[in-house]
Amino acid sequence: MSVFRHRTRRKKKLPIDEIPSKQLEEGPKKISGTLDENVMYMKEMLGESDDFVIKHFKVFGKVSAVLMYVNSLTDQNRINNDILKPLMYKPEHLLKKDILLDELISILFSEILYDSKAKLNSEFDELVNVTLLGETVIVIDGIEEAIHIDTRKVDKRSIDSPETEQAVLGPREGFIENISTNIALVRARLPTADFVVKTMKIGRLTKTTVAFCYIKGIASEQVINEVEKRLSEIDIDAILDTGYLEQFIEDNPFSPFPQTQSTERPDKTVSNLVEGRVAILADGSPFALLVPVVFNQFYQTFDDYSSRFLMGSFARLARMLALVFSLIFPSLYVSFISFNPELLPTEFAVAVAGGRAGVPYPAVIEVLIIEISMEVLREATVRMPKQVGGALSIVGVLVVGEAAVNAGLASPITVVVIALTSIGSFATPAYVAAFALRMLRFPILVLAGIFGLYGVVVGVIFIFNHMLSLKSFGVPYMAPVSPGNSQGMKDVVIRSPLWWMPNRPNFLKPVNRDRLGAQNNKELQHNKLGNDQREDT
Amino acid sequence: MEKTREVTTFQAATILISTMIGVGVLPLPLFAVRSGDTGAPFITVLGIGIGAIALIIITKLGLRHPNKTIISYSEDIIGKWLGKIFSLLVILFFLVLTALAAREFGAVVITAVLLETPLEVTVLVMLLLAAISARNTMNTFVYIHSFYIPIILAPVLIIVALSLKNANFLYLRPFIASDLKDSFNGALTVAALLQGSFLMTLIIPTMKNPKSAVKASLWAIFISGGLYVLIVAATVSIFGTEEIKKLYWPTLELARTTSLPGNILQRLDVVFISVWVIAVFTTIFASYFLTIQSLKEYFNLQDHKMLAYFLLPFIFTLAMVPQNILQLYDIILFIGKVGLIFTFFYPMVLYCWDLIRNKRGSKDESKQA
Repeated sequence: MSVFRHRTRRKKKLPIDEIPSKQLEEGPKKISGTLDENVMYMKEMLGESDDFVIKHFKVFGKVSAVLMYVNSLTDQNRINNDILKPLMYKPEHLLKKDILLDELISILFSEILYDSKAKLNSEFDELVNVTLLGETVIVIDGIEEAIHIDTRKVDKRSIDSPETEQAVLGPREGFIENISTNIALVRARLPTADFVVKTMKIGRLTKTTVAFCYIKGIASEQVINEVEKRLSEIDIDAILDTGYLEQFIEDNPFSPFPQTQSTERPDKTVSNLVEGRVAILADGSPFALLVPVVFNQFYQTFDDYSSRFLMGSFARLARMLALVFSLIFPSLYVSFISFNPELLPTEFAVAVAGGRAGVPYPAVIEVLIIEISMEVLREATVRMPKQVGGALSIVGVLVVGEAAVNAGLASPITVVVIALTSIGSFATPAYVAAFALRMLRFPILVLAGIFGLYGVVVGVIFIFNHMLSLKSFGVPYMAPVSPGNSQGMKDVVIRSPLWWMPNRPNFLKPVNRDRLGAQNNKELQHNKLGNDQREDT
Repeated sequence: MEKTREVTTFQAATILISTMIGVGVLPLPLFAVRSGDTGAPFITVLGIGIGAIALIIITKLGLRHPNKTIISYSEDIIGKWLGKIFSLLVILFFLVLTALAAREFGAVVITAVLLETPLEVTVLVMLLLAAISARNTMNTFVYIHSFYIPIILAPVLIIVALSLKNANFLYLRPFIASDLKDSFNGALTVAALLQGSFLMTLIIPTMKNPKSAVKASLWAIFISGGLYVLIVAATVSIFGTEEIKKLYWPTLELARTTSLPGNILQRLDVVFISVWVIAVFTTIFASYFLTIQSLKEYFNLQDHKMLAYFLLPFIFTLAMVPQNILQLYDIILFIGKVGLIFTFFYPMVLYCWDLIRNKRGSKDESKQA
């Protein structure tokens, strides 16, 4: 039995003729020797669009030929200078020679066209496809093969600092929408032959290039095969982002918790690859998906590792506290106030009761009202045009909060509690994980309203049990806490010094386990000893 | 379907610990004091000794059949029909045990925390939680237990540590109870609280290294037993024996007398009970899981998931049978002792029978050779 429990979401594959595509309706066809016929066919396929260019010319001024490309995707200068020009002017050393039609192709290839990516093809199917990807197709009269050359040029964003994952200490580069740039960003950090990139095309219409990368000899074979299998099972019309892929490859689509990690940071991607994970990139998406994941990854940041371990550990503790707060703080407040006020110190309990004096609703309703308006505000500020956003969020938080208290809709302490919770949920570096806890806050709140602390604990047990039952590509979600692993535990609550963690995470079942050289540890000890002795003398 | 063997020794021990530490810890000092006055800790130790023997017998028996649970190997040992009958009784016993634990917990909650909530609701919530969780696989079952173990041990240790400043160790003398018969009776009661350890029979077939099962059992009984003794000693040394006899849940009262330094929270008993929910959950979850897994094996079913919901109404009804808290504890004490027949004597008989049978078997073989 396989350790993976992954459902094939679509039971029956849809018949292929449902693809809205002209070329496949026609069926495969080979290129013919007659130029006009070939041009007619291509025109039929692509001619409706005005950015499809057909340019007639004569190779070396003699043989008539046609150049075809999609205007919007190609580099005009390159076509003029690197393709058209050498094809039209016969070079000097060939001037005296009479070229036969049979030789023409080989001469063009070996002496005229200086492009390493030039290829020959005779299938119309393929030619149409490559034209649409930005290549230039050259058809020559009397020759039953066409040359196509990569002339793609699509504008891309420059490499920017990652928006969603800021790091104080650490590289400032983030992924962009272009997949080859993204792969380059990763590969530049991993100049090793073991780094493997495999690509495939997914999406009937978008034909998105999807790449999955791993380090051979570290990532477990099982995981690699499973990733490949799940990716190749996807059959959809459009893949516009890695988020689309995520929804097809995750283990439990009904869980609120993310089972893949998406990151904008090449450095983070590399560190995960080195730990034995697989990264999935898609053209058009500035996010890489990392699998398999465990929960503790979602509150770790790159800063934890790039800064010294004491700083990293402290920051991580604060973040964990924020994470717990964002889940249960409002419900704790509700259950203390409405069920067990005797737990609070008397002075505080009196203050709370005084603040709530004018509020007509029970604490749950009050907190729910404020929570929901907070969610609305938050969603509004995300979608708001940038120019208005700043103003609105201040208006929203300050004015509405103050007014709600004055109007007797909420007590001041409730506002404080909700504000702390909301801020806490922003401290979680992974947006999706924070979102899961934000969502789960509401059912727990309702439970707290009904059962007090008992309800909160029941809710928390329920969530933990669910998390403990989750798996991501065969790896238990709560590893290395449960199933426990002493080596992995060093990187859960605190971030231990790097030299305390000589092995790669065990739960990923890496092929090669050693992260540190055996000598490393000894030398560190030795250096420390040396320093001590120097101080003594 | 091939079973995966992934459970480590540590995980096996944590399962046993979290199963044995449950709702029974609340009235434990009362049980011990009733039968032995100041000898309560001694009686507890005695009870743990009996529990340990039972657990070791179960483990040893399981090790002789490392690929099967007691439901299937009992048939091999004492024959199909006898085996079937006893297995059914064992399953029924754990069904009742689950119901009683849920009911006892419900009683504590409505007395101490949720005074106005109906008993039925609190019990049902707990049973639902256990039923939903029991639908998980064996691996998840193991993960859940080892995940909660610190949360189960910590509150008790904290409460005991914080309350020690009020302790009067004179209350603990004389150490040994005078009446032997009463002591033995009390010890049996304490041993009955440890019956969850029967779960070991379910764990052995999934252990990575079954040979270390004895080690896991010993560690488990050592830690949970240690905690039991600690609780009894702490309550007796704080309240004295006469005071304890008037309290239903002395351990809860212990939590009530303590407070955190700095007055962060004025009282700890509610917090204690809330965290205690987790310990109770793991216990009920374990016996629920044991019941449905055994049933699955008993009827040779493929899947245990449906059984989880199917049993829920039965367990709930059983939990509602006791009329009041007095009757509840009479039943608990009675069932606990009856249970020892299944969790102590039955495995012992099986073990002896198995030994004799095997000896005879090997003799026959040697004769043939």
